[in-house]
Amino acid sequence: MLTRRSFLRTSAIALGAAGAAPTWLLRTAAQGKSGRKVLVAIFQRGAADGLNVVVPFFEPRYYQVRPSIAIPQPGKPNGGLDLDGRFALHPALQPLKTLWDSRQLAIVHAAGSPDASRSHFDAQDFMECGTPGLKREDGWLNRALTPVAPDSSPVRAIASGTQLPKTLQGSRGAIAVDSLPRFQVADKSTADVLEHLYSSSLDGQLKAQGKATFDAIKLIESVRTRPYTPAAGVQYAGEFGQRLQQIARLIKADVGVEVAFADIGGWDHHSNETGQLTNQLRQFGSSLAAFTQDLGDRMEDVVIVTMSEFGRTVNENGNAGTDHGHGNVMMVVGGGVRGGRIYGEWPGLEPEQLFERRDLAVTTDFRDVLGELVSGHLGQTVTQVFPGYTPRMSLGLLNA
Amino acid sequence: MRRLGFVLGVAALTVAAGSVPGAATGRFDQKLSKDKQVLHVLNRLAFGPRPGDVDRVRRLGVEKWIRQQLQPQLIAEDPVVNARLKPLASLQLATWQIYETYQPPAPPVLASVVPPARPLERLVSAEQFQKLSTGSAEERLAVIGAIPSENLGPVLAALTPKMLEGLPETQKLADKARQTEMARQQLVVRSGVSVTSLNNLLTAEQRRVTQQGSVEERRALLMSLDAPTRKQVLRALPPPALSGIPELQREALAARQPQVFVNQELIDSRVYRALYSNRQLEEVLVDFWLNHFNVFNGKGPARMLLTSYERDAIRPFVLGRFRDLLLATARHPAMLFYLDNWQSQAPRDDIPPSPNNPRRPGLNENYGRELMELHTLGVDGGYTQDDVIAVARAFTGWTIYDPNRIAEFQFNPAFHDRKEKRVLGHTIPAGGGEQDGIQVIDILARHPSTARFISRKLAQRFVADDPPPSLVDRMAKTFTATGGDLRSVMETMLTSREFMSEGAWQAKLKSPLEMVLSSVRALGADVTDTTALAQRIAELGQPLYGKAEPTGYSTTADAWESSAGFLGRINFAGALAAGKIEGVKVDEAGLPNTGEAAARRLLGAAVSPATRSRLENGASQSLSPASLAAVVIASPDFQRR
Repeated sequence: MLTRRSFLRTSAIALGAAGAAPTWLLRTAAQGKSGRKVLVAIFQRGAADGLNVVVPFFEPRYYQVRPSIAIPQPGKPNGGLDLDGRFALHPALQPLKTLWDSRQLAIVHAAGSPDASRSHFDAQDFMECGTPGLKREDGWLNRALTPVAPDSSPVRAIASGTQLPKTLQGSRGAIAVDSLPRFQVADKSTADVLEHLYSSSLDGQLKAQGKATFDAIKLIESVRTRPYTPAAGVQYAGEFGQRLQQIARLIKADVGVEVAFADIGGWDHHSNETGQLTNQLRQFGSSLAAFTQDLGDRMEDVVIVTMSEFGRTVNENGNAGTDHGHGNVMMVVGGGVRGGRIYGEWPGLEPEQLFERRDLAVTTDFRDVLGELVSGHLGQTVTQVFPGYTPRMSLGLLNA
Repeated sequence: MRRLGFVLGVAALTVAAGSVPGAATGRFDQKLSKDKQVLHVLNRLAFGPRPGDVDRVRRLGVEKWIRQQLQPQLIAEDPVVNARLKPLASLQLATWQIYETYQPPAPPVLASVVPPARPLERLVSAEQFQKLSTGSAEERLAVIGAIPSENLGPVLAALTPKMLEGLPETQKLADKARQTEMARQQLVVRSGVSVTSLNNLLTAEQRRVTQQGSVEERRALLMSLDAPTRKQVLRALPPPALSGIPELQREALAARQPQVFVNQELIDSRVYRALYSNRQLEEVLVDFWLNHFNVFNGKGPARMLLTSYERDAIRPFVLGRFRDLLLATARHPAMLFYLDNWQSQAPRDDIPPSPNNPRRPGLNENYGRELMELHTLGVDGGYTQDDVIAVARAFTGWTIYDPNRIAEFQFNPAFHDRKEKRVLGHTIPAGGGEQDGIQVIDILARHPSTARFISRKLAQRFVADDPPPSLVDRMAKTFTATGGDLRSVMETMLTSREFMSEGAWQAKLKSPLEMVLSSVRALGADVTDTTALAQRIAELGQPLYGKAEPTGYSTTADAWESSAGFLGRINFAGALAAGKIEGVKVDEAGLPNTGEAAARRLLGAAVSPATRSRLENGASQSLSPASLAAVVIASPDFQRR
């Protein structure tokens, strides 16, 4: 029986198909596995201890000033995993060692911000805005997108989490997806009516926002209803693992993801660092490795970059922990990455070589790392993504 | 026939294109109809209408209602507000009392507070003591042998080596006794500072109740304990034991995380007042000025300072003189801490700058910059970097006394830079003290850029994202002419033709806070616990007191337009109307059961033709009353005010 309601629905769909079919959907379908480049940014919130993540075991001073928390030399019990005879990975990062050996992992040490702030929220903000010392309303990864076009995918910029991070805020549309199953109108009976209300609204802003929202919901529903299992043998650990799995699933579903973001907190180890850092790194390393395994061949087109707002003090403090510092480690992972090497100039750990005589100095601006990736991988202009900044060096992180 | 009706409906929609909200500026000359005026003022001077508000304001008259709202001290408060606020004990306390009540200093684990071993003189008689000090070995042994067993241990532990001379067996016993005594003392100390395990606090049966008992059983058990014991139990209990007992969850929060608890009471008061207070304009202004003079609850101990900040530095001044408000925030420990001025000290020329730190050691420019950029002149207000440094120097010495215990303003002359300063063309002579900062406050409060900046920000909140310059000019003139009297400036704005115009009608996008509050008010819901509601506001991106940046939350639409937010709003509306938000009770039986009635009750004059036609034309006929209400609250019309 043709009810008025079902008639309205079918005519609305007919109208939709006639004139307003989402062109991104058509385009994506045509491209298939199009080789679209994806940049995934990972933020370690809380100032990860880079010196214990990528350990300068060749420096005697490292062991002098960290008597209880230094990572032992490779070969010793609980020793680091030797990378190049000078630096070693924390032993909990065995999964990343595999990526190093296969040349998909590049490490930039003594990287960070020229701004001296040791305030978590200021430094995070500066790094997310991409403008050290200045706070803005938008983030670097949002500016790294091309301007919104009618055929832009509604999920081309996603943050895996409940909030849209400053990194992705801005004029180009980005969405926060906390959980794929929950990314839908919970009260199904109202979804259609609401979609019609927004699409027929004469309020231009709200109409566009509504459209973006409902397009994303439909798109994610199509992903969600497809059965999904990670690639063989892949296991994601913990909440961070779930976040990465979500991103992997969306990338593999070929729905137009271009940039993605996830963060992982819990790095602020002012006391009793050793056990806590080990636990963190187990989750961190295994999840990143799982992500790369899950994507398999697609890793040719994907680059992951990790960062933290600043590093930690070179000396340990009186509580078997470390305090806020400066220079830190950034990692770059991907099939197109020139991995298996450590980039950046190592400034040394002698007191006169330290920043303010306490922290690892910064010899590579984080914008040099990110800038190289947004231009070399995404094809964007660095000065547009990092206003007011001229890249100082070419690191050569990506294969030509 | 149905097909024709549908096509006509579409035609009607396209014809009604004239009511696009917030369009051309000529519309700021078109006065709103009386009906729209009523809803307009309730959306701007209040957090949206509650059931019956539209009728009340219409009967009273819009102009009269505005005048009343400008004199909140003359408005009788709703008893519901007082009832909700009464149990929130921390709201009335000074900061030092908050510290003392909720976060008393932990007993230090120092040898000096370990209860000292009882001296020997107290354990034995004078005669025995005499014999132990000067007697022969046999005499001493005889005394020791006569000590009753309950005192023997402490006595042995207290004997001096001289007293034990020649008594090797006794010496061994004394060594053992001394070790036991030390262990006993350490146990006393440790049990005071550690979380005592449940095994020590509850019997096995009581523990079973906490794990498996019903809500009533668990509540009865916990309330049967005396307060100190309950506090320790609450600290140690896993959260499932408290599920369904919100009042004890709060008590547990106070025991476990006193700072979060104190801030939670402040959040409670904000939400209850915004929802139920008759002094709505005052609450809207408190929200505005707290945002303007933003302090972030997540920085250090700020949560302990915010209660006083809102009560003492913001609320009393929202309709007073801007200069007084500015000075109150400048002096308050919350602001001194948040923008780091409490640590700012005169630059020390005797310490050479190092290559890694070209900034002068000691001086912190954060407050100096934000005071001008965000609080007074605005980023284009005409100050230079030199002014920033000079202002920062003027405020050196404005610091906090005993920050973790008392947290009051203190001027510390040792921090103060006494050299001459030039601020925005004014000279502050050398040799000044605390007065330097006050002079800067006066300079900034009187500056013409401040009048314009503040006027424009107020107009953005109350009129439109891009307010008509003509209105901002008149407000700035009032500001200057009255020496910064905020009530006068508000009056200029609220009685202006631009305010009550088509240009302002539905021109603002509701922030997440405004959307949530206006939804609860529109439904007439009864809130008895704000935790879940505050959580929702935070999830939508606007946690109360939770803005990390000193800019505060944006007052214009672009910040809130991300599509993540819209799905969140839609799902919030659904959960609210269905009664799924804990602590928020919606009278489901009282909800309208037709789309038309829902639109009329919840949107009133704000309903657009598109929304009305969708809701009246049966597209929503099969929806439950809760779903209908959810649709209206989630609709594009309801997102505007």
